Amino acid sequence: MFSISKDYAPPFKMIAPFFIIGSIFFFLATVALLFMDPILGHFDPHIAGWVHLYLLGFVMIIIFGAMAQLIPVVVEVGHYSVDLYYVIWPIMLIGTILMVIGFWWISALLPYGGLLVLTSMLIYLYDTLMTLKRVKNITLTVKTAVAANLFLTTGIVVGFIMTLAIGAGVNIDISWWLGTHAILVLGGYVVLTIIGLSLILLPMFGLAHGFDETSINRAFNLMVGGVILHLFSTLIGFSFGRLVALLIIFVSIGFYINQVWLIYKVRARKENDIWARSMFFGYGSLVVAMLLSIISLIFDVESILLSAVWFLVMGFVTFLITGHLYKIIPFLVWFERFSPLVGKERVPMLNEMYPKKMADFEFILSATGVIIAGIGILIKWNDLYYGGVALLIGGAGFMLVSVKWMLEFGKKRKEEK
Amino acid sequence: MCNITKESVYDAISNVIDPEVGFNLVEMGLIYDAIIDDECNVKVVMTLSTRGCPLHQMLTQWVKDAVEIRVDGVKDVEIEVVWEPEWNISMADDNVKKALGAI
Repeated sequence: MFSISKDYAPPFKMIAPFFIIGSIFFFLATVALLFMDPILGHFDPHIAGWVHLYLLGFVMIIIFGAMAQLIPVVVEVGHYSVDLYYVIWPIMLIGTILMVIGFWWISALLPYGGLLVLTSMLIYLYDTLMTLKRVKNITLTVKTAVAANLFLTTGIVVGFIMTLAIGAGVNIDISWWLGTHAILVLGGYVVLTIIGLSLILLPMFGLAHGFDETSINRAFNLMVGGVILHLFSTLIGFSFGRLVALLIIFVSIGFYINQVWLIYKVRARKENDIWARSMFFGYGSLVVAMLLSIISLIFDVESILLSAVWFLVMGFVTFLITGHLYKIIPFLVWFERFSPLVGKERVPMLNEMYPKKMADFEFILSATGVIIAGIGILIKWNDLYYGGVALLIGGAGFMLVSVKWMLEFGKKRKEEK
Repeated sequence: MCNITKESVYDAISNVIDPEVGFNLVEMGLIYDAIIDDECNVKVVMTLSTRGCPLHQMLTQWVKDAVEIRVDGVKDVEIEVVWEPEWNISMADDNVKKALGAI
């Protein structure tokens, strides 16, 4: 009867592990925040361990899982070899665990963890770049995907060399390269990927049309220029170039925020569901992070810089990811369990396929936690920071349970049939 | 001479619901035209609310299936997805606009 093409949707069992692992690591990362002292410098191995727990275990693994579904959708061609995703997550998972153990307890494990993470990312990059090679319609999203993946490749190679320096005694100046590693991975990959995808996803979920795209094109060009300038300035030891690169990246994010505002103004869908509220909080946090960053550049106060990073990471990146999980997971579950029933019986709508109460609790606890802990970091009041983290742990717990709820939606019904 | 009417084609397509927004494609204003020739071949001209819609293939397939199954006497069904004019919320029915908060 109703035949369905599966070219654009990889198998559910292939992608589900990415979201399960990502949610567990998000919860673990919030718990680990309790053992962090917010006044520790960013060179501290405890902080480095936490950053890799959060960035690899949560951010990267969720992005990779989401990309398995989103890449074919946004570039309009099927994956080069989607089966590679079956091996990406186990290698990434073991590599991440070894790296975190390496940073926190046994530094000799770092190179092994780093090698496994590098391997999993190269597999991901291989499939992505080979897929992009087949694209005929070169849109801004395609360009951001190419640039982001090239930056990721460079970033992880730099990171791997750094793990060799820590765990195997290779002689490089880690403190000099750390900034570039962070810029390549966070700015060059994570933020650039978000820029590219948001041009598709924000109008799609907000039903926005007819907006000018000049701002996002400028954001893309400036981000690429800023990241490349930072990399070359690091290579030739040019400190002023690194500062200029950071300023260019700031301006790029400014143009990006303006683009998000332009899309928001013309959106036809005004209902504020969990996705919309997560986007409001995420972009609000990005604005706060930008303002704090500018203030920290003027006054050179470390607590202001740390709170800017906090709002960027825990406010912006986290909420953009968690907000989209309430869209992506129901779609994948719907596609797997309900799309074959279309035309035969009533099938649920996507907005019926996430737990609204639990999602509300997750949002309120997480948002409050981010704000309170962020203020705690800013005014150097540790008790406030730990209080905020406790709320954040509650939010992450609700997120974990919500992900389980969404993944199991309709499962019993299918088994009974 | 073919007896299939444009209305019967639209009625058939109104059973296809976009699971993201919960409205059928006709009330969303996504169906631009239904061309019926003397041989009862039907060509549906439609668009999608966004170019990168992950349901692209499914929606077009469902429209094709809906016409084939629900319209008596239909022969070949062709679906053409166009991007001009670009869809916007003003093309949707008032109940859709109201539910989405657009009016």
